Amino acid sequence: MVWKLVREVLKVGEATVPYPFVPVELMPGFRGKPQHDPELCIACAACAVACPPNALTMETDLDQGLTTWSIFYGRCIYCGRCEEVCPTGAIQLSQEFELAVMNKADLYERADYLLAACSQCGTFFAPAKELDYVIALVEQAGLSGEALDERKALLDLCPTCRRKTDIRKLAALSQEAV
Amino acid sequence: MAADYSKDTLQGPSQYAIHVDEQTARLKGALLKDIRRSVFVYRVDCGGCNGCEIEIFAAITPIFDAERFGIKVVSSPRHADILLYTGSMTRPMRVPALRAYHAAPDPKVCVAYGACGCSGGIFHDLYGVWGGADRIVPIDAYIPGCPPTPPATIYGFAMALGILGQKLKATHHMQADEPHIHLRFPEVPLGLRVEVEREARRMAGYWHGKRIADSFLELIRCGDEHIEESIGDYLNEEDDPRLSEIFARLQELHAAHTRGG
Repeated sequence: MVWKLVREVLKVGEATVPYPFVPVELMPGFRGKPQHDPELCIACAACAVACPPNALTMETDLDQGLTTWSIFYGRCIYCGRCEEVCPTGAIQLSQEFELAVMNKADLYERADYLLAACSQCGTFFAPAKELDYVIALVEQAGLSGEALDERKALLDLCPTCRRKTDIRKLAALSQEAV
Repeated sequence: MAADYSKDTLQGPSQYAIHVDEQTARLKGALLKDIRRSVFVYRVDCGGCNGCEIEIFAAITPIFDAERFGIKVVSSPRHADILLYTGSMTRPMRVPALRAYHAAPDPKVCVAYGACGCSGGIFHDLYGVWGGADRIVPIDAYIPGCPPTPPATIYGFAMALGILGQKLKATHHMQADEPHIHLRFPEVPLGLRVEVEREARRMAGYWHGKRIADSFLELIRCGDEHIEESIGDYLNEEDDPRLSEIFARLQELHAAHTRGG
């Protein structure tokens, strides 16, 4: 009876995973630490909007012309919504799970991005990289020549100035009609 | 003395949080530095969803077996060296959390476990929560995760006890002067890309949908005659009927787009 049990135990072998002495085997699709590539990021804040627990946040400083992307791993629930909405693939869930820290400040990751200034009034209104990305997308969609230049000029304006330009154009049109 | 909690700010440790005196801090440093015996862990659930508890018990069962290292979960805070705070610290759980803290003998180490314990997690801005264990008791180590996996738990303990080093460091990146804009799949027409991404998400759900759309776009980006072959090879390799069905639908979209111009 006992020998049967001993044989069974020897047959089964050791069930314990030898972590942390050996790296643990992770399944494909394991959702670990969201890895941010600041070079690819265009500071569009899609991830900050999608993030359910507000671990990802964007703060804009209009005086300095900076927008700060930040993630707080202590609040992240590893759902992958940020990866899904990212238009450039700048944020991806990695297989990294060893995130424990002694100091809470080490759970923060930040990245600063420059804002573009309006070509008329000079106020900062959108991340410069995001504008470049939009222009690249418009080009990819097939816009070129004069239409592209027109669109670029429009994208250089802040929403207020854009509205003013529109009103001026409308006024000119209505005068022509009269 | 009755404290006025209404004046408490929502950032950082609460002004009513306990402060550790110098002698206890010194003892705690000694405990962390050369503990030469088993550590007893008492688990304080302060309003969690029990996901963290399930993972803690997964960490002490034979597969991960934290008791190899002498980490043992005990049933009384009076036996504990480590207090493990899980949950987002709801208002009614504040007093039990404090009772557990005071019942544990000094020196003791407090660990915030899970996204909720570290910061309140997804519940951080609810009216009924304090938002993290560190707003009530002094915390020495943070183990983030929702919930932390058993390996992450073992790593967290090993790090709190000074056996393994901390890997994560705070970073602050500043944008370079000449930004480089990288479009994904510039060879694929924008309209087709949007259609493929939407359809894959509709069929497979948000996260897998994106991954499937990406692998499909990666295969069709070259745009030559071997697309069908390479897709067939990929599907054979993956050997997943669900993926094959989604790819068939995406190929229909691709064919319609190439036919339509």
